[in-house]
Amino acid sequence: MTDAHTDAPARLHDIRNCFGKECVHEGLDLVLPARKITALVGGSGSGKTVLLRTLAMLREPNAGSVELFGVDVGRASATRRLELRARLGVLFQGGALFTALTVLENVMLPLREHTRVRGEWLKELAMSKVLLAGLPADSAGKYPVALSGGMVKRAALARALALDPALLILDEPTSGLDPIAAANFDALVRELTDSLGLTVIQATHDLHSIWRGSDQVAFLGRKRVLALGTAAELARRDEPELVAYFQGARSAEYAKLNASPAPAD
Amino acid sequence: MPVSPAKPNMNDEPGEGSSAPSLRLEVTGDSRATLTLAGDWTLARLSAPAPPAPEAGRGPGTLRLAGAANALDSAGALALARQVDRLEQAGWDVGLTALPEAQRKLITLLKSRLPDLSEAAPTRESALARLGRRTVGKLIEANAFLAFIGELVSRGGRLALSPWRIRWREVVAEIEAAGLRAVGIIGLLSFLVGMVTAYQAGAVLQSYGANVLIVDLVGIITLREMGPLLTAIIVAGRTGSSYTAQLGTMRITEEIDALRAIGVPPFDMLILPKVIALMVIMPLLTVFANLMGIVGGSVIAASRFDVSYAMYFDRLPEVVGLTPLILGLVKTPIFAIVIALIGCMQGMRVSGSALAVGRATTVAVVQAIFLVIVLDALFSVLFNLLGY
Repeated sequence: MTDAHTDAPARLHDIRNCFGKECVHEGLDLVLPARKITALVGGSGSGKTVLLRTLAMLREPNAGSVELFGVDVGRASATRRLELRARLGVLFQGGALFTALTVLENVMLPLREHTRVRGEWLKELAMSKVLLAGLPADSAGKYPVALSGGMVKRAALARALALDPALLILDEPTSGLDPIAAANFDALVRELTDSLGLTVIQATHDLHSIWRGSDQVAFLGRKRVLALGTAAELARRDEPELVAYFQGARSAEYAKLNASPAPAD
Repeated sequence: MPVSPAKPNMNDEPGEGSSAPSLRLEVTGDSRATLTLAGDWTLARLSAPAPPAPEAGRGPGTLRLAGAANALDSAGALALARQVDRLEQAGWDVGLTALPEAQRKLITLLKSRLPDLSEAAPTRESALARLGRRTVGKLIEANAFLAFIGELVSRGGRLALSPWRIRWREVVAEIEAAGLRAVGIIGLLSFLVGMVTAYQAGAVLQSYGANVLIVDLVGIITLREMGPLLTAIIVAGRTGSSYTAQLGTMRITEEIDALRAIGVPPFDMLILPKVIALMVIMPLLTVFANLMGIVGGSVIAASRFDVSYAMYFDRLPEVVGLTPLILGLVKTPIFAIVIALIGCMQGMRVSGSALAVGRATTVAVVQAIFLVIVLDALFSVLFNLLGY
């Protein structure tokens, strides 16, 4: 929580999100450092998805400001917001692939909408994203119904990457994947983050993603970001919510693996 | 020293301070060359694949990629990866080590995907294949409708022997949705059609001074044809389509499979109640439509053609009688079965996408209305042959 304020693609300040009288966020602040992967964790109903939707400009917060790439979204004009959208890539929890289009067409859609690229080059660019997302070449012509759960996630990632977004928003990218596929997906996100210079925020429950696949972890609790730091730092905190979350047996194993060589006890 | 700068297709909207991507070739020795990279190698700058490669001639030799792009995204890296690939095929040994590490990594990453890229060109189906697919699809559909009728008869017949196992709660819910809530629209439309019929009949009859025959005309047309047909068409459009949409969506969200897994036959739970409900409700709605049509006729007869309400309703039972009413009502359960079955069948056949639900809904309404009118014509022929 010390550095990275110089170059932060996204800043959330004093956010309040309410549904009727029920508020999920109140006075929430979060800054996403550039070129880092931030994991968003918290119990069910702590408002992870709502926060991501706020960040993706799909939900207007009831109060507070969202700043993307230095632009205050709430005050931005419609054209400006559209420009901002082109710099965001969103992976929805269920994939949200357009079922009437093939995988390749799904990836081509944002390219066609936001750039002047056409023809073979368009196809080739889209195809490169499909391959970068780790899908086999022959899956490009398939419709989403014909894909397995893991492939849907990858296809959705390919679409989210279509425009080389500066900020990638992933809502539970590894949920529903087997541990090996999930670990591969984490590695893929890491590789893309490093090579494309992405800033990533991912809501996740996956311990592997939290411990291995993230640079910092934001813990949502008490309607705000209760704690922000590396997983190891958070595991040492003593707020009851964090203790409950990080003291599970499996989490302890990760903590042990993660700890620098320490005297055995 | 040959220098050949290359300019790409320029984008119309260059951002502030950005410059076009370029490659500059310097041949430094017999079999040595340097390709210098500059400008913004980004998607916004590359609306065509890449600036044409400077002609480096054929190898063998070593070629060094130097300089640095102001900005490089995956589109730029892909374009560069293709250049590198082309040069390598021309016999050059291309070295990337002079590039900044991040850019080298990205180019290498995309270059590793190149073989798959060229190989993968998703093919479209040929016209013949599509024709074949459609033909087979139609045959399968016809077959499915027959199978559906078969299932209705076999399952419905078995349940008819043990009626306590029919899901009456669903039946009642369907009756409310398809019947009670349709009363308003059916009443209004029938009233209006009754008025229109009376107008047209009156206009002709008036010139013969036979105004009072409006009663005969409106009565018979409404009871035998207009009432049943109008009701069937409204129900097909209103209820048949909602059956398709409901079942189709349940198919996509796997609710139908969930029912099966729990051990509830979807046919008993979802389809039979709909068929029964429509069979109950259609005759009732038709009676109501008849009533409103006749009332609509009476309003015009009284206000425009000097046939008083008393005269109108006095004459009606005398000249029309019960036969047209019965002939009209006999058709309605058949219409009900057709509408419910087509609606349900199209819904159950949905697979895959949201688009398929919309398409199935359209098909269901068109097929149901088509079949209702064809059946109505057949009934007319049949009744005529029977002497009614």
